[in-house]
Amino acid sequence: MSNVVVLDNGGGFIKAGQGGERNPAVVIPNCLYRPLTSKKFLHPTATFSSSPDDLTSAAIRRPIDRGYLINPDLQRDIWSHLFTSLLHVTPSSSSLLLTEPLFSLPSIQRSTDELVFEDFGFSSLVVADSPSLVHLYETSCRPCGLVSEAQCSLVVDCGFSFTQAAPVFQNITLNYGVKRIDLGGKALTNYLKELVSYRAINVMDETLLMDDVKEKLCFVSLDVERDLQFARKHGKDNLFRCTYVLPDGVTHTKGYVKDPEAAKRHLALTDGTSPSEAIETKNETDQLGVMDKTAERKRVDLTKNEFDLTNERFLVPEMIFQPADLGMNEAGLAECIVRAVNACHPYLHPVLYQSIILTGGSTLFPRFVERLEKDLRPLVPDDYQVNITTQEDPILGVWRGGSLLASSPDYELMRVTKAEYEELGSARCRRRFFR
Amino acid sequence: MDDDNSNALRRMSTRTRKVAPKMAAALGSSDNRSQAALARLEALENDNAGIEARSKGTKRKTRQAKALENARKAPRSFLELLHEANLESLPPHVPSYLRAAVGPPSSTSRRHFCSVCGFSAKYTCVTCGMRFCSCRCQNIHNDTRCMKFVA
Repeated sequence: MSNVVVLDNGGGFIKAGQGGERNPAVVIPNCLYRPLTSKKFLHPTATFSSSPDDLTSAAIRRPIDRGYLINPDLQRDIWSHLFTSLLHVTPSSSSLLLTEPLFSLPSIQRSTDELVFEDFGFSSLVVADSPSLVHLYETSCRPCGLVSEAQCSLVVDCGFSFTQAAPVFQNITLNYGVKRIDLGGKALTNYLKELVSYRAINVMDETLLMDDVKEKLCFVSLDVERDLQFARKHGKDNLFRCTYVLPDGVTHTKGYVKDPEAAKRHLALTDGTSPSEAIETKNETDQLGVMDKTAERKRVDLTKNEFDLTNERFLVPEMIFQPADLGMNEAGLAECIVRAVNACHPYLHPVLYQSIILTGGSTLFPRFVERLEKDLRPLVPDDYQVNITTQEDPILGVWRGGSLLASSPDYELMRVTKAEYEELGSARCRRRFFR
Repeated sequence: MDDDNSNALRRMSTRTRKVAPKMAAALGSSDNRSQAALARLEALENDNAGIEARSKGTKRKTRQAKALENARKAPRSFLELLHEANLESLPPHVPSYLRAAVGPPSSTSRRHFCSVCGFSAKYTCVTCGMRFCSCRCQNIHNDTRCMKFVA
């Protein structure tokens, strides 16, 4: 059997590696970037947060918009760099397992097939959708769990381009039940960018920097009204205020959180604690930090570019839970899940509510699960249990499922070979993937 | 509001009468605001908000270069492709990209946050409809991004 390249072609990151392995060999951003010092667009070598280059005001080109491949030329560029210099595979002797979002348009499918077979010349191709791969991975992780015994689950994918809830039954995604919110990590970053640009410093050009800010500082609030009250306080009473230092290009080329300890203070506020208790815990931390605080206050110098975040930290991820606040005419994540379940057969409802699997990079915000459970519980009938499972690495979950599929015996049966593609064309071959 | 005239002693807000004709038209159609909101949401999916304009047209192009550029398949946006696919023509039971959208929320209640400071906002800007929470924020809003019916 020839080797299989598993490629999870996400809007934010490409996850790629050999089928059968546990982790992808390469995780790179799915884009080209152009720093200010360069005239050409460059290939990112690793994730941006770990690369040493100066990424100030880097322009970005992405081949994927709203989850779908719209710029095949750019994607060809990125893939050829990926296959030749990062993965070191020869496409003509290997098979490709590619993920594609659900409901891909025929024109996009055609250009994807052209890319795979004609430009790169892969010997065969399997196109899979991400919910079924996540389901596959979860069933193999817990062979005795409910997900694998009932053979069905509800995969909630909060990705870079969109958020969707997809019921999966016996490894096949029930496409009539899939519900999508058009908000993902990219929209959240852009929203944060907008807020900071209006309130503090213009960072409209700094997408990569704001990505970092979002990942480090944003969290999901369990009680927005209460947290807004807290965020209003002045000085050190404010648990949420946090300073982010922008890179200056001389001593450091990366931005950083000024006081990482203070950034975690919001975790002291749990759902159950009343405000008075929360203030007590806060006082303790304050007493510990009094000495540091005075020293730190002297340290503030105006040459440094920095900005404070308070309520932005939880109002940004809040968008996923209530897009209506932003003026979007869309329901929030909890309601999205309920609608996805209601679209399925009533026999499946209790099992689906008990086997919700969270995946995707945007679920990494602290307290995401707790908030979802809190929102979801009142919407679900009392008799049903709600059980939300998280993956240990939500970004790689889809890829791991793909890796399992590539090493399973079914893989041989599913694939479309290059000869078949040349004989039958794109549309006929696609029917094999039940799409 | 017409029956207010019967009770002359009662003091009523005269605000509705002072509405500028331009604003009345805009409120009636509700097009400008919804268009502005749509444009804003569209901007959230944008990759390089500030840079796009700068990268264009640094060098004057020859006719040949222009022709070459046109000949190359220009990448189209996803919405264009979606429009081209004509998914509306499918029968209603076929699941498609459009039918997978989650749809409007069940409760119409919407929380409002101050466009200046982010806290919950009680007041609406009479000119552009954005929210603010206090007099201070209103002044900042008026000075900075009150849209004043640009559309």
